Amino acid sequence: MNLIIKISWRNIMRHKGKSIVIGVILFLGALLMTVGNGVISGMDRGMQKNIVEGFTGDALIISEKQESDDVLMEMMGKAVAPIENFKQIDSALAKLPYIKKRLPVGKNFAMALNSDGAIADGVFVLGVDFRQYRDFFGDNLKLIEGNFPEKNNEPFALIPTGWRKQYGEYYSVILTPERCKPDTSTLGKEILERINDMQIQHDIVYMGMSTENTTTDIRVPVNAIVKYRSLNTIWGMFPILDIESYRECLGYFSAKDKVADIKKEDELLLSASSESIDDMFSGADMFETEDNGRDAITLTEGSLATVKQVREEEIDLNDGTFNMILLRFADKANLEQTVKALNKDLSELNLGVRVITWKKAAGIIGSMAVLIKTSLFVFVMFLFFVAIIIIVNTLSMAALERTSEIGMMRAVGARKSFIRLMFLGETAVLSAVFGGAGIVLGIIIVNIVAAFNISTNNDMVQLLFGGDTFRPFLSLLDIGLALIQLVIVTLIAVIYPIRVASNIKPLDAISRD
Amino acid sequence: MNIIEIKGLKKDYPLGKTTVNAIRGVDLSIEKGDFLSIIGPSGSGKTTLLNIIGCIDHATSGSVKIAGKEITSLNDKKITDIRLHQIGFIFQTFNLIPVLNALENVEFPLLLMKNRTRGEVRKKALSLLEAVGLNEHIKHRPSELSGGQRQRVAIARALVTGPDIVLADEPTANLDSVTGASILDAMRTMNEREHTTFIFSTHDANVLKYARKVIKIKDGLIVEE
Repeated sequence: MNLIIKISWRNIMRHKGKSIVIGVILFLGALLMTVGNGVISGMDRGMQKNIVEGFTGDALIISEKQESDDVLMEMMGKAVAPIENFKQIDSALAKLPYIKKRLPVGKNFAMALNSDGAIADGVFVLGVDFRQYRDFFGDNLKLIEGNFPEKNNEPFALIPTGWRKQYGEYYSVILTPERCKPDTSTLGKEILERINDMQIQHDIVYMGMSTENTTTDIRVPVNAIVKYRSLNTIWGMFPILDIESYRECLGYFSAKDKVADIKKEDELLLSASSESIDDMFSGADMFETEDNGRDAITLTEGSLATVKQVREEEIDLNDGTFNMILLRFADKANLEQTVKALNKDLSELNLGVRVITWKKAAGIIGSMAVLIKTSLFVFVMFLFFVAIIIIVNTLSMAALERTSEIGMMRAVGARKSFIRLMFLGETAVLSAVFGGAGIVLGIIIVNIVAAFNISTNNDMVQLLFGGDTFRPFLSLLDIGLALIQLVIVTLIAVIYPIRVASNIKPLDAISRD
Repeated sequence: MNIIEIKGLKKDYPLGKTTVNAIRGVDLSIEKGDFLSIIGPSGSGKTTLLNIIGCIDHATSGSVKIAGKEITSLNDKKITDIRLHQIGFIFQTFNLIPVLNALENVEFPLLLMKNRTRGEVRKKALSLLEAVGLNEHIKHRPSELSGGQRQRVAIARALVTGPDIVLADEPTANLDSVTGASILDAMRTMNEREHTTFIFSTHDANVLKYARKVIKIKDGLIVEE
């Protein structure tokens, strides 16, 4: 082996020109690959961090009746199934030590109406208790105009800049809180060009559809225009409403409903499903009373009005319908295992809910990092493919130029395997020296760039950065991957030249002379 | 005892639509320890005969035995091993490995054999370089040696494995007469000291006086022995 390494190294030094050509290609390939891996990993980590910390939490609890896991981004899917027993679930979750925080939210599709009452735009709306929301997400929202809601039980809408722009462009309306001047920097070019034709509007009407296919309009004041601190391009399409307005819009039980003084028979009616109501009011036995063993429903005059007579001080916003519960785990390292354990615990408690990871909930967004990572990997592999062709060509030429030397080695007793190892050794030394240098420089560049904390407010660039700051990152796994890629490239590049070299016969050397 | 036995050897080369009959039926026996010269004009088949004996080229037909072993039907690995263990080569153009110095070039076949310690390899190579008068040039690379010195290195390398046969194809062709004579002297000395069979081709009449036995070849046939 020493002999092979010695000959390989000296041949590299002897054919400096070719060695440098191959070395530079390997160096650049390894450098690009390492920096690319760093950028991708940084973006992946940034995306994960910003999605998890800014919008989804580590995992989400959804109803067992919810068919699709893509509960956040599915455009044409069914409405997200409601969770009616949050308080019961919450008390169970509170006992689990691996759950650090929880946030119940409503999330569904609603239609935004314009001032004429016409349907303007479909939008995903989030319904939250804002105090809990802030406790869970901290300052993920940047205030652009207006104020965040101070009272917990007042209707509000927080409109993200992205959706305001979209709505404004479509209906020539600028949504802005009372007594606020729109921040023109967030309106976009199209609105600014038509600014004089724009109407100012301080509230917004959403129309939601209940599970019973009935619709309800709600009018809520625009409290604030906000911007998500990172990934606003994605999350900027999610206006936030107070949970009670949201429930009213979607036809859900609200906390007010729960504290209303409802007679037993009214409660039964209100909680009955549509099929059972149809059953009750049809058929021959519809007027039967207590004697048939079934509770009768008698609507007393004004009883439904009583439902709305709410004692404000008794309202517990958690005591109503939600669509999902966002969770933050104490240990983020083993997400899949924690989700599995929680699913087991919830299943044993028979609460009618299940847990999914944020990646599943975020659908295409959750997979975006993987998609971009794959694309960049393919790009880097393409570069390596080109590099391989150049290296193969150069090494093959080198093999043919050394016919006399190789043929003579074979003549004095070197087996084909020796020639193969000699060529492999030469390429391996080049790969280790130049490719290794490329990887080391790549690691240095990634760390230097990360130390600069390059930030951007541009939404599209934020998507590429995976957040508002560009922080490329290389894990040991990434470095290992770069080394493996380098080894694979070296092996692929040397196969054909080795074949050429090992097929040189002693007679070829003599014939050449 | 015959170290080489050749019977009915033929070698044809296809050349376009025709075939060149380089060897047209050679029978030859060479005894161990011979110092034999093959002479003949250019294109007579000297080099082809040497290449076949040296397991560098294949016969079209006929039988070639080296130390009693038929070599015409062996695979590449076995043929390579015969070249390593039983045959030494001295080529016309001093084929040395350019990236190795004189000592390393001589050590090369021994290192391929992998049956000696590093110290034994070094000792053997040094003794042979001393025998060919190159003990002061052991660290020189081929490019730093004269033609005669390179050919001496090639002789040392050919002998280092203790082969049965050393084949030299016109070993003095590219050397001046004085250097050529010294190379032949060196070969002769080694032949006498190691009892190694030397077969060399030449068309130089001055070289013939060194040979103990001469065969003349013409048009692929032995015409005089």
